[in-house]
Amino acid sequence: MKKILIANRGEIAVRIGRACREMGISPVAVYSECDRTALHVRLADEAYAIGGSAPRDSYLRIDRILEAAKKSGADAVHPGYGFLAEQEAFARAVRDAGLTFIGPTPEAIAGMGSKTAGRAAAVRARVPVVPGTPDSIPAAISDRELEELARALGYPVLVKAVSGGGGKGMRTVLNPEDLVDAVRAARSEADAAFGDAAVYLERRLTRPRHIEVQVLGDQFGAVLPFVERECSIQRRHQKVVEETPSVAVTPALRRSLAAAAAAVARAGGYTNAGTVEFLLDEDGQFFFLEMNTRLQVEHPITEMVTGLDLVQWQIRIARGERLDLDPDAFLTPRGHAIECRIYAEDPDNHFLPSPGRIVALRAPAGPGIRDDSGATSGLDVPIFYDPMISKLIAWAEDRPHAIARMRRALGEYVVAGIKTTLPFFTWLLEQPEFAAGRFHTTFLDELLASRNGRPFVEPTPAVEEVAVMAAALQAMLSPGARAAGTAGSTVEGGMARWKDQARLEGLEGLEGLSRLALRD
Amino acid sequence: MHYEIEASGRVRHVTVTRLGGGFAVSVDGRLHQVDAARIDAHTLSLIVDNMWQRDTVITPESSGRLVVLAGAVPVAVRPNGRRGGGRRQGGGAAGSGPLRIVAPMPGKVVRVLVKAGDAIRARQPVVVVEAMKMENELRADRDGTVAEIHTREGMSVEAGALLVVIQ
Repeated sequence: MKKILIANRGEIAVRIGRACREMGISPVAVYSECDRTALHVRLADEAYAIGGSAPRDSYLRIDRILEAAKKSGADAVHPGYGFLAEQEAFARAVRDAGLTFIGPTPEAIAGMGSKTAGRAAAVRARVPVVPGTPDSIPAAISDRELEELARALGYPVLVKAVSGGGGKGMRTVLNPEDLVDAVRAARSEADAAFGDAAVYLERRLTRPRHIEVQVLGDQFGAVLPFVERECSIQRRHQKVVEETPSVAVTPALRRSLAAAAAAVARAGGYTNAGTVEFLLDEDGQFFFLEMNTRLQVEHPITEMVTGLDLVQWQIRIARGERLDLDPDAFLTPRGHAIECRIYAEDPDNHFLPSPGRIVALRAPAGPGIRDDSGATSGLDVPIFYDPMISKLIAWAEDRPHAIARMRRALGEYVVAGIKTTLPFFTWLLEQPEFAAGRFHTTFLDELLASRNGRPFVEPTPAVEEVAVMAAALQAMLSPGARAAGTAGSTVEGGMARWKDQARLEGLEGLEGLSRLALRD
Repeated sequence: MHYEIEASGRVRHVTVTRLGGGFAVSVDGRLHQVDAARIDAHTLSLIVDNMWQRDTVITPESSGRLVVLAGAVPVAVRPNGRRGGGRRQGGGAAGSGPLRIVAPMPGKVVRVLVKAGDAIRARQPVVVVEAMKMENELRADRDGTVAEIHTREGMSVEAGALLVVIQ
């Protein structure tokens, strides 16, 4: 394998490109109209435009992606997550084009990929599943039949997209009168996000934790389960914080979960990287939820506590290597890792999307910190895709130290020009329930609903005064920023003197002034 | 140089004078010695009375406000004499005047949940806008009556577009 086409964008395309380079493989990028200047393009060896900004016109166009693969001479395609990653048709088209698909076979995707097919495989593997409808709801179902299905399961019910992921195409229904609207909203969201409007119903367990097990399977039948990830901190069914190991999992439970995950993967004839998701109820019983037939967003925390590079192993498995690893080593975590998903959303305004230009960006670094980002300063965060701009990962020898390290890193992280969820994470990591590890999948939604609408991070009077001074100094010292002042001519004069000073220093333009103190 | 800058609903009177290598800055009569170093077009490193060191990143919003990131803490401020007159954007004015629901981001209106004349309660969803693959409910901040509807389902809207007016 000499060249891999990465059929994705953003941070995951960057992350896969890095694995390629470390293995001496050349990464090939594809990009939509609005992604010309995206980081994944700028870090690649080759880049091919594949169409308009809407996913349907570019990242979901199998024909154009394969055309780019052919032009570039790539031998393999990595789908990342989202977009075409879990589409059987894509895996099949890649194989039919004589290329290697870095992921499971189309047969395994068909057998496990949809949420309903995955549940059937779990039943075959004798792993308990969450009660729900065995198949998707017929598109032409009457409102009355729909209400009967839900009543038979018992409220509250979840409406879930068969091809779903990341909380999209999912709705919680507490009361029968909200059911019809919820199904309609889930269908339209699922159709827009995945090109498949099919949904099914599942009973919502009371206060479960979301626990998942990463697996790797090679082409010779070996399946290796990893130490669990806990992803219970969710907002509207979307994971926002993940950690490993889980405070709720004992070594004995870990072995049971691992065995169940491996059994489900084997039942589906699974190869390459995948994740088996479970719900863990308050009594310590676990239920199979679904299998994700792709690399997960949160894979880095597993890498941090096992020392393995999962993307490199995906590539090694795809090119026919054996998984000759000691299984016990991956069930015993080394230290603790936490991930925060940094979104371009305004947490202080109902988490509404906040696309736009990033005018300043400074990512944290230092011991135990990993920032898997697709963003740079000067980049426009487009409205067409998932608003995640970065995954901030902290590793330390135990959970309290990992939390302390994450808080330190959040304080260092600067993203200006758009709103991000950074202030929300600063607040969340201060919550006593979080520190104690007492949470479940609706914990965050309940906590947010009980808030009084105050900002997540509130400035002290002293910080407010610093901000006011900064605004005044910026108005006085910046080119063009004279609107705030009442003595404009003096500002102009001041600016001219400042520029003269810069010229004396032999510097040109604003960029060159970066380390020059603003002094007369 | 004199400035009037609003923060947390209170106008601060700020006077900036060059002093030696730095600045003397008075805020409502409290005097500070400030060393300001430019990092980039939006960023100033401030050392205030030696006791407070913060990177401050100053970015303008379309509403005429500035967001100042002081360290990791965002602070919204409004310089007096801003351009654009008194029209507020991004959720509407508080108090008893008309409440203007505007699109906070570019996107597509997928549902209009009210019609003119409807009585609505605070926090009631009014319009659903799809952006970044999620449906986002825009809510009224207070009780009122729907006076005007400026959008329809399926319409693409820019950030700041007026959608609904509530009296």
